Amino acid sequence: MLSDASRSGRGHRKVLLPALCSLVLFACTRDSRTPLVIYSPHGRDLLTLFERRFEQLHPDVDVRWLDMGSQEVYDRLRSERANPQADVWFGGPATIFARGAADSLLEPFRPSWAGAIDPHGRGPADLYFAVFETPAVIVYAAQAMRPAEAPQDWDDLLLPKWKGQVLIRDPLASGTMRAVWGMLIERGVKQTGDTAAGFQWLRRLDAQTKEYVLNGSLLDQKIVRREGLVTIWDLPDIQINIRDGLQLGYVFPKSGTPVIEDAIAVVRNARHRDAARAFVEWVGSVEAQLLAARQVYRLPARADLPVDSLPGWVRDVRRRMKVADVDWDLLAVRGAEWMRYWDANVRGKGDGGRGTGR
Amino acid sequence: MNGRRGQVFGLALALLLAWLVVYPILIVAGDAAHADALRAFVSRPGEWAALWASLWISLASVALAALIGVPLAFLFEWFEFPGRKALGALIALPAVLPPFVGVIAFLFLYGESGFVARALQHALGLARAPWRLQGAGAILLVHAYSMYVYFYLLTRAGLARLDQSMLEAAQALRAGRGRIFRRVVLPLLRPALAGAALLTFMTALGSFSAPYVFGGGFRLMTTQIYSTKVNGDLALAMVETLALALVAVVGLVLLRHTQGEDLLVALGKGTAPRRRPIERPAVRALATAAGWLFAVLLLLPHLTLLLVSLVPYATWTTETLPPVLSLVNYRRVFSEPERLRPLLNSFWMASVSTAAAVVVALAAGWLVVRRRVAVRRWIESFLELPWALPGTVFAVALATAFGVSKPLALRWVLVGTVVLLPLAYVVRSLPVAGRAILGGYRQLDPALEEAAASLGAGRWVTLRRVTLPLLGPALAAGASLAFVGALGDFVSSVVLYTYDTRPIAIEIMSSLRLNELGVAAVFGVLLMVCSAAVLSIGARR
Repeated sequence: MLSDASRSGRGHRKVLLPALCSLVLFACTRDSRTPLVIYSPHGRDLLTLFERRFEQLHPDVDVRWLDMGSQEVYDRLRSERANPQADVWFGGPATIFARGAADSLLEPFRPSWAGAIDPHGRGPADLYFAVFETPAVIVYAAQAMRPAEAPQDWDDLLLPKWKGQVLIRDPLASGTMRAVWGMLIERGVKQTGDTAAGFQWLRRLDAQTKEYVLNGSLLDQKIVRREGLVTIWDLPDIQINIRDGLQLGYVFPKSGTPVIEDAIAVVRNARHRDAARAFVEWVGSVEAQLLAARQVYRLPARADLPVDSLPGWVRDVRRRMKVADVDWDLLAVRGAEWMRYWDANVRGKGDGGRGTGR
Repeated sequence: MNGRRGQVFGLALALLLAWLVVYPILIVAGDAAHADALRAFVSRPGEWAALWASLWISLASVALAALIGVPLAFLFEWFEFPGRKALGALIALPAVLPPFVGVIAFLFLYGESGFVARALQHALGLARAPWRLQGAGAILLVHAYSMYVYFYLLTRAGLARLDQSMLEAAQALRAGRGRIFRRVVLPLLRPALAGAALLTFMTALGSFSAPYVFGGGFRLMTTQIYSTKVNGDLALAMVETLALALVAVVGLVLLRHTQGEDLLVALGKGTAPRRRPIERPAVRALATAAGWLFAVLLLLPHLTLLLVSLVPYATWTTETLPPVLSLVNYRRVFSEPERLRPLLNSFWMASVSTAAAVVVALAAGWLVVRRRVAVRRWIESFLELPWALPGTVFAVALATAFGVSKPLALRWVLVGTVVLLPLAYVVRSLPVAGRAILGGYRQLDPALEEAAASLGAGRWVTLRRVTLPLLGPALAAGASLAFVGALGDFVSSVVLYTYDTRPIAIEIMSSLRLNELGVAAVFGVLLMVCSAAVLSIGARR
């Protein structure tokens, strides 16, 4: 029936012809290596680097990565539970990994370097381990202000001069922003025993906020094009963007910044379990840790790396950065609820640069 | 004997469609019946606000699209002026701008730091951009731009079928121009207008890309479902999905009601009124100028996309126009085979799904129109249903229904396989393919097939040598629309793609995520060119 249709419907044949060609091409491009599918928010720079190096070390493995927000990785793993497509979940705050662990989406695997990771970067029952530390920073348009004029701490973002100049990456799908939001709310809980203070602070930030931006890269573009002047984002992305020529600057908030334990895990019922384990083992190896630090600005999570082997910027960051003391367990438990409350009751309610020209 | 076999086939097809189209929705409905989630939905003002926003944005989109599309249709169908033909084709161009890509083009064109805003800012010496492209206004702008085409095309088609003799009769009865318009032209156009309104309403209700990019805190139901799902609240997402589906079905029933019968139009077999040349030179010049200006305005998003695809990374910041242009992004896409994979994926999935949808539609046409099987109304309704339900709803429903293995309940694990996304495309293509091919069948004179049969041609020969060639134009139209829809699909893909099936639209999104605007634009341009080529093949008679 199909061939009949194509023979006589003239327009239809023209549609079907490229179809068949592409099918043939599609069939030809398969190779015999073991595919290793990685879901990751780490971005092209790091993933391409790791893909090339790992394939060099394991010529029988074909590394395939899909880049998406860390919250999206979680959502995807959950909907694919019956037929997991990913072998490794690489990247995202340990808090989201904790939810994945609670939902039985992860498989225990203890790599040889597990002992070199700080205890709070280790998941329960060897389900996940931190491999990088990703600090959040305040980012500004470098062409628009001198470094000293930029906001120096979280509370500076609420100053009148930044009204309508703050851009925020839509925090719902972003692990970094969820961690920052969580830290700000948890800070309030620590001070007052209640979440109200944190939400009040976020409401004031919302009033300063010009726009919630779809993804990190549009956010960078908008800052560079000076649609807004300040934002919050993670250090590695910003450093890579600066290297690539974007006019951005960053500040470590004085009172302390949340440092996300950027984790890795083998997906439960992964189809290529051995390759997945080999990859996890390699990502935490000294070689990969240094590779990531030197080439794509990742702070290694391993505490046992010799200081003099680390690039200068790592030492510089460790000296300048103040780490905020965050109760990550509380965040893992209540994060989703807080985000939902923020989305329904805070977002857009502060009436910032939007709406009435107050 | 023959009749009974037709009935069996009819029943089988109806059951297949029910399984593919209705069953997943029912499963979602079952899953949504959690008391907690229902209570949460009912008690949260945000949910009602999103539902209400979806409704009024859709209605406003219909009004705006009609406001632009209907006058244009009259202009191009009733008047003659220089460049009418070329312009008439150009004006349908928004149809080839795939939804997600189109939205990004709008961002660079009319966004705060886009060409238009920057140019105005420089020209007027403003300290800041003259406007923001955000919220309801931005969504409506995109909707009006991309959806007026429905009104334009359908109204033109309706006007072309109008019978001159009816207008003359009214004139002879001394009816004035306004009266003729109100009492003769509009009633005759009613099916076309109602059809366009329905199409626009459904498209707007299911629209995801524009609210996703421009909505921010302003939520429509589609983006609300997405963020609830991303936030991990599956039960609530199901309730939201169901609520949106209910609104869609109610809208479909109400609008269907206003469509009326096609009878009046079917009566007219006379010739359409001849186009009147615009006599006064000044008016003619004005109309021509306005026409070209409008065409340029419509082409701007396409040109923007082309321009952005030529901008190397990080070279364009606060300038009105990009300072450097080069082909580096194109070289990047075509030099790395891995980057071309999404292109191939989209092509094979669109081809396979189109072929499948066409086969189903052909079978449906034969069973419904020729055999007139008992379940023909069911078959027709099932074919139409996916059109009434937003893409997000279907994608979530398919992912839910085929995420578990219960063979006895006719549910298999398709999530994560290469089958599910093409299957979703098939479902989404059924309405366009079904409409075109069923319509084609209805216009076919059965006498021709009977003649072939009486000359000794078997059923296959008749099908191959008589039916299919006669259905040619309808087949081409239906297939090309289905193909283009699948090629550029974003809404279903974002829920269902896997590594092996990631399509162009997803690659565009992830290029955007990865700071590769130029590469995203290259994919956009490729998608646009392919869509235009396929549509022009399909439109050829």
